[in-house]
Amino acid sequence: MEDLATAAIEAALKAGVSFADVRIENTSTTIIEINDGVSKQSMASRLKGAGIRAFIDGAWAFGQTTDLSSSGMRKIGDSVAKLALTTKEQVSEKFEIDGPIFEDRFEYNVKKPFSSISIDDKVSLVKMIDDQARDFDKRIVSTRSVYGDMYTELYIANSLGTKVYAENSIPRIISAPTAKDGANRQRIFKSLGVRGGYEVMDTDAAKNIGHDAAELVIELLSSIPATGGSYDVVMDPILNGVMTHEAFGHAAEADNWPSHSTVLEDKVGKEVGPEYLSITDDPTLDGQRGSYEYDWEGTKTKKRTLVKDGILTELLHSLETANRLDMDPNGAARSQSFMDAPLPRMSNTFMEPCDWDVDELIQDTKNGILLCSFNYGYTQSAKGQFMFQASHGYIIENGEKGRMVRDVSLAGNILEVLAKVDAIGNDFELDAGSCGKGGQAVPTMTGGPHARILNMPVGGM
Amino acid sequence: MTKRLLDIGERAVKLAEKMGAEQVEVYLAKSRAYEIEAENNAIKGASEQRDAGIGIRTVIGKKIGFAYVTTLNEDDITEAISHSLSLAKASLEDPDFVTLPSSGGTYHKAKKLFDNKVDTLSSEEAARLLIRTIDATKENLEGMDFAIEAAISSSSSFNAIVNNLGIAMAESRTSVSLYAYPVIKEGDDQTASYEYQISRDLNDIDPEYIGETAATLAIGFLRPKTIEGGTMPVIFEPLGANSILGRGFAGAVNAEEVQMGRSYIADAYGECIASESLEIIDDGTIPGGLGTRTFDAEGYVSQRTPIIESGVLKNLLHNSYTANKDDVENTGNAARPSYSGLPRISTSNFILTPGKGTVDDFISEMKKGIVCRNTGDRPNMTTGDLSAMVMEGYYIENGEIKFPLKNTLIGINMKDLLTGVSQVGSDSRTTFSMIAPSFVIENANITSG
Repeated sequence: MEDLATAAIEAALKAGVSFADVRIENTSTTIIEINDGVSKQSMASRLKGAGIRAFIDGAWAFGQTTDLSSSGMRKIGDSVAKLALTTKEQVSEKFEIDGPIFEDRFEYNVKKPFSSISIDDKVSLVKMIDDQARDFDKRIVSTRSVYGDMYTELYIANSLGTKVYAENSIPRIISAPTAKDGANRQRIFKSLGVRGGYEVMDTDAAKNIGHDAAELVIELLSSIPATGGSYDVVMDPILNGVMTHEAFGHAAEADNWPSHSTVLEDKVGKEVGPEYLSITDDPTLDGQRGSYEYDWEGTKTKKRTLVKDGILTELLHSLETANRLDMDPNGAARSQSFMDAPLPRMSNTFMEPCDWDVDELIQDTKNGILLCSFNYGYTQSAKGQFMFQASHGYIIENGEKGRMVRDVSLAGNILEVLAKVDAIGNDFELDAGSCGKGGQAVPTMTGGPHARILNMPVGGM
Repeated sequence: MTKRLLDIGERAVKLAEKMGAEQVEVYLAKSRAYEIEAENNAIKGASEQRDAGIGIRTVIGKKIGFAYVTTLNEDDITEAISHSLSLAKASLEDPDFVTLPSSGGTYHKAKKLFDNKVDTLSSEEAARLLIRTIDATKENLEGMDFAIEAAISSSSSFNAIVNNLGIAMAESRTSVSLYAYPVIKEGDDQTASYEYQISRDLNDIDPEYIGETAATLAIGFLRPKTIEGGTMPVIFEPLGANSILGRGFAGAVNAEEVQMGRSYIADAYGECIASESLEIIDDGTIPGGLGTRTFDAEGYVSQRTPIIESGVLKNLLHNSYTANKDDVENTGNAARPSYSGLPRISTSNFILTPGKGTVDDFISEMKKGIVCRNTGDRPNMTTGDLSAMVMEGYYIENGEIKFPLKNTLIGINMKDLLTGVSQVGSDSRTTFSMIAPSFVIENANITSG
C-alpha cells in the first residue's frame, strides 16, 4: 500500500500543490438481520479504494478512486492536484498545512476475528436473540434482530512524511421488538456496540439483549405520553451522553471556527458552564466503539478535555483547524470511508462524574422527570439550537419515581443549557452510537453519569 | 455507459447462475459527483467523487443473500457473488418470499432526467454560480456581521438492473443542488438560516433567489423568544410540510412497515384517515421529477399511485416482496441506496396536491398561532406520536408575525395531524423528500421555554 500512496502523493506534488494525503482502505462488513424468525437484509460488503486530497494556499481538493494500481493512483493524484490549483484562484484566506509526522504500524489483535466465525454461527446467534425477544411475552408481535461486524485495514500517508497503518474491528448487536396490547403499539431499539472481535458476542450483555429489549418494550405498553411543559429533568447516563454530544460536542468541532458557525466561537478559555462541569472526548479508551489510535489524517489521537471545571479548554481538531487556529492537533479528523474527506469529529464523548448519589438526586427532585435512553437528536451549532428525544422516562413527584412516559423531546440552547446543569451523579456508563455530519456516519460512544438540568422545556402530545 | 453496465450485469448474472443461484439480480451503478464548497464568504475547496459498484442478490429456494463491492472488477464481482451465495445458504427460509420480479409490462420512458448542461458543468462555471449566490446573500446582509457557507453539487449517474427472469433495464440521470447558509451576529445574538434548490435541470437553479431568500430569512430570525405554551394552530411552510409528511407519513404507508406491524396507520386501509382537503399521490412518472424513473430499484415498471383521496387511504407503497406477500399489485416503489443495499420501499415523487392560498394568506387569517418553516423531526412511526422542534418559526398574533421562536416544540399524534389539516396552500415546492405546499393544522400542543 505504501507504494500506491507514494505514487499518488508524488504525482500531486509534481503537479504543483504544497500538501497531499492519501487514505487506502480495505473494509469488510457482514450484516445478518432476522425479523420474526426469518432472514432479512443480510449482506456482505467490501469497500476497497483510496481517497486523495491536495492542498495549496488555502484551497482543498478531494477525489477518490477504486483503481488501486500505480498508474491509477498517479492519475488521481495528478487530477486532484489540478482541481486544487484551479480552486486556488478563488480562495480568500491563505494558510499552510503542517503537523507532526507519525510512522507506525498498529495491528488490532482480537481473540476471535470475525473471519474465523462461520456465517452459520452468526445466523444462530441472531436467531437466538430474535427468539429470546419473541418468547419473552405473548404481546411481542414483531421482532427485529441485527448483528453487524466491520473489519477495517487503513493506510494513511501524507506529504509531510506520515505513514501509518491501522486496523479496527467493531461488532454490533441490536434488538428492536414491537409489542401490542389492544390498539396500543410500542417499539424499542436496544443495541450493544463496543470495540473487539466476535468474543464480544459471548458477553452476557450481548447474549441477553433480546430479553432486555423485550422487557423494556412490554413496560412501555403501560406508559403514557408526557404532558408538555417545563420540568427539572434528570437524565440517565445514556441520555446525558446524547445531550453532551448534541448540545455541546458538535459546537466544539474546530471546523466551526474558520466558518464562524458556532455559538462557542468567543468562548475558548471562558466559562461555558458551572465549575463542577467537565466534558471529555477520549478516543484512547480501551475497547470502546469510538476508540482509535490514529485519525484518518494519520495523527496520533489523545484524550481531549473539552470543558474543565466549567471552562472551554480544548476543541476537536483536524490538521487544518489546528493550523488555522494555531492550536495543537489532537487527532479528531475522521471519515466514514475512503470516499469521504476527513472532518473534525467526536469519539467517546461524556460528562465527567461528580459527587451526587443517584438515589439522592432523584429524591432531591420535587417535580421533575427522569429521562432514559434515546431515540435521536440533532443540533445547529450556528444558532446554538439542539433537540433530542428520550425513548422513555418516569415522572418524578416529590422525590419519587412514578409513572412511565415515552418519546419525550427536549429542545434548548447550547449556551443556556449547560448553565442549568445543577447536579451531577457519581455513576458512569457509555452507550453505542453513530454520529452523522456532512453526510458521513462514524461510530461513537456517548455517556456519563446521571445529571439534572433545571427548568427545561419538554414536549408533550 | 448504460450499455457497458448492462454487459457487466449480464455476465455477473450468468456467473451467479453457474455458481448455484436459482434466481439472481444485480444492480450496477456508476456516478460522478462534483462539489464546490464555500465557507466564510469565499470558496474553500472542491471534490470530485467517482463511484462504481455492484450489488448482487441471490436466491436459493426461499433463502436470500446479498453482497456488494465498490468496484466493477471481475475478481471482486466473483468474490461478491460467492459471499452473496454463502449468505443465502446460511439464511433462514423466508416463507413469504415468492419470486424476484419479472418484466412489469409496458415501460413508459421517463422524461427529462438527464440534462447535458449539468453533466458537462465545468468547475469554473460551477464556481461562478456559487459566487453569484454568495454575492446575492452578501448584498442583502450589508452592514451586518455575517459568515456565509454555501455549496454547489452536481452529479451524473448511471444505473442498471439485470435479473435472470428477463429484466435488463438501464437509465441515466443528472442532478444539481445549490444552497446558501448565512450565519449572522448582532450583539450577543447569533442566528442562521438557509435556502436551497435541487433539480435535474440547471435552468431551474437561481443563485440570486437562493442568496436573497437565505439572507432575508436569517435577518428575520434575530432576537427569538419563547412563548407561553398551549393549544394553538400551526402553519407548516412547504419545507416543514415536506419533512412532516415526506418522512413522517410516507414511512407509515410503506407496506413493509405495515406488514411488520410497525406503522401507526397499520389497519386503516380503505378508511378515512385524513381531512377531506388532503390528497396525496405517489407519482414516479412526472417529467423531470427527482423521484422519476422508468423502473424502480428492482427493474419493475414505475407508476402513479393514489395514496390519500378525499381523506381515504387508497393504497400502500409496495415492492415485489410485499406485493407478493399481500397478493396485490406491485406499485413499483422498490428503492435502494445505490448498489450498496437490498431493495426496501420508498416514495418516488410523493406529492401533496395543492389547494388555495399561501403562507402569507394563512398568517393574515390567523388570530393566534405559530408558523413552522422547518423541523428535523419525525414521529415515532409505531405510535404516530410527533414531538417536533420548530427549527425555524414565528409567533403570530392578529394576522401578523410578532417575533421568531426559540426552544419551541410542537406535540401532536400524526393521526390527529392528518385529520386536523384545515387548509392546503398552492405554494408547492420540491425538496429532497417530497413536493408539497404549505398547510395548516387546527390545533397542536405547543411547549416553549
